[in-house]
Amino acid sequence: MQTNPTVTEKGTVRQRKKKKNQFPVAIVILAIVIWFAIILGQKSPRLALSWVFGIAFGVVLQKSRFCFTASFRDPVLTGSTSLTKAVIIALAVASVGFAAIQYGAVSKGLPVPGFVSPVGWHVAIGAVIFGIGMVISGGCASGTLMRVGEGFMMQWLSLLFFVVGALWGAHDYGWWKKVFIDGASGIHLPSVLGWPVAFVLQLLVLGLLYIVADQWGNRQKD
Amino acid sequence: MAEFRLDCLGEACPVPLLKTQKKLANLKIGDLLIVEIDHSCAMKNVPEWARKEGHHVEIEETGDGEWEIYIEKTK
Repeated sequence: MQTNPTVTEKGTVRQRKKKKNQFPVAIVILAIVIWFAIILGQKSPRLALSWVFGIAFGVVLQKSRFCFTASFRDPVLTGSTSLTKAVIIALAVASVGFAAIQYGAVSKGLPVPGFVSPVGWHVAIGAVIFGIGMVISGGCASGTLMRVGEGFMMQWLSLLFFVVGALWGAHDYGWWKKVFIDGASGIHLPSVLGWPVAFVLQLLVLGLLYIVADQWGNRQKD
Repeated sequence: MAEFRLDCLGEACPVPLLKTQKKLANLKIGDLLIVEIDHSCAMKNVPEWARKEGHHVEIEETGDGEWEIYIEKTK
């Protein structure tokens, strides 16, 4: 089936390019991944775990064609909200997980794990700039990395300048932090509202967004 | 029943989609548009958009990481 020539509606026969068999390469790479995981595991189990999770994350990202850029761009561009809904579901699932981890730590008297970053106008402005950049360059951070691995060479360029930009940003971060970020304070909703309210509120907002996204997606069909 | 090809090889998404939308608008009903892409993301959003618009769509992987999307304009 895979090697048959294609017959289009016009009856023209098209010979396909011969595909390389990538299976042997996949086996070799899998072996290298496992070997490297074992080496890391001897240094620290945590490193090996991070390595395996990183690889798994990449595989899921690639196979599912999951794209944060598309989730924000497609509703405007094509009226499709399938990825938007996927991101909302992912956030909801992650919220449950994070809530469990954080609640577990806090109830033991430990500080809240994870990042509680200061909120303010700088977040909104930075997000808009990042949004413009990711649509032009064809992917956000994870999407760009995934397509670099897929072999899409234009995004090797994206990655190069992504690194340049990130280094530049890190270099000047002290100034940005002093001028824009230090005035704002971090808000950890469960600490302010209490765990049940914060948890339900978060899922409720995500649920509402999902309904809006769903209706936006169906609206375009008519 | 004319057949058109659109070369989007090397274009990152959303460029293939925008080109397809523009090109398809100029075609007549019954025409076939073949979009060549090699960006995995376009493999998702181009067919999705075209199906939503009500056109007949078929996807075919012509090489490793290269696809052709057949869109028959139906309206």
